[in-house]
Amino acid sequence: MKNGLQLSRNDRRRAATLAVIILVQALCAAFFFSDVVSDFKSDKYLSEVHFYMEAIATLVLIAGVVFLMIELRKIMARVEQLDRGLRGARGEMAEIIDAFFEEWDLTPSEKDVGLLILKGFDNEAISQLRGTAAGTVRAQSTRIYSKAGVESRAQLFSVFLDELLAGEGRQDGADLKA
Amino acid sequence: MLREHHLGSGRDSARSGKTIQVWDPLVRLIHWGVVLMVVINAAIVAKDSPLHLWAGYTMLVLVGVRLLWGVIGTRPARFAAFPPNPFRALDYVKKMRRSDKTVHLSHNPLGALMVYNIWTTLLVIATTGYMMGTIRFFGVVWVERAHELAYDWLLVSIAAHILGVAFDIWRSGVPLVQAMIHGGKRIPNDTPVE
Repeated sequence: MKNGLQLSRNDRRRAATLAVIILVQALCAAFFFSDVVSDFKSDKYLSEVHFYMEAIATLVLIAGVVFLMIELRKIMARVEQLDRGLRGARGEMAEIIDAFFEEWDLTPSEKDVGLLILKGFDNEAISQLRGTAAGTVRAQSTRIYSKAGVESRAQLFSVFLDELLAGEGRQDGADLKA
Repeated sequence: MLREHHLGSGRDSARSGKTIQVWDPLVRLIHWGVVLMVVINAAIVAKDSPLHLWAGYTMLVLVGVRLLWGVIGTRPARFAAFPPNPFRALDYVKKMRRSDKTVHLSHNPLGALMVYNIWTTLLVIATTGYMMGTIRFFGVVWVERAHELAYDWLLVSIAAHILGVAFDIWRSGVPLVQAMIHGGKRIPNDTPVE
């Protein structure tokens, strides 16, 4: 997830830079455009290469603005997608955890302990966080493992990872029970 | 305390509200750029100074880019996300009175009308301002009157815009000013989004 956030931060910086360039270039384009128009009206310069070069440069500037705008839109679409994907993944993970905990009939305090285990706290830290004896936490985690039918922390993790990586879209509690 | 911990960061952030990317940097730069140009021309430079014209042209280009962005831009920036429809605005007011707290990701239907109003006013100001500098309309009274009237209307509109934003922040709890600064709207929990 850190990687995702990093990516989105890079994109955001690129987007801001692009926006500044778009505006500055649009101002330049407008300046040259008005210059070309007034040259055209005055009729004096129509025989000079200078005028045509300026006209072409103006067109290219305008085309560049439009092109950069399309680029900016793409970047912003990617930022949005990444943000939504991260939010979705978080929500989905929470749903999966919820569903399994229900399925295993964990008591409320076992759910708390289970969650803290999944978040990477060791038994000692959990007992401190919950203000209970280390023995209690050990007993609770043993009960969680046995209810889940696993033998270790690592196996507990793999239950959830398997579910996420199975990738058959979202699974809800009903599917799990089936 | 552990209850608060329940199901980790995803749920925690959902509990305190989620931030959704809405305004892209181009929209934000143009918004504050136009503010700057209006402040420069209204309060800082003299009316007949060349700087007044340059600030006016800059503002015109900013609005022009914004209008093009309304066609080809990001989703919340596109006209389609906030069509100028008085009936939708009326409907929105009715819903508001029934204390429906739906948050609109782009402009809300009432705010949308203000957006089109301000753009039109700015365009009128820029056009009449430009005309005053042309040989054909130089010193023509109705052009000058139109420029001044549009400017007065702009001041009224800006006041209404600020009041509207303040009202919406108070009502919906979405920090709109910050949204126009870093682009994300923070939506409080249990608030429907449209």
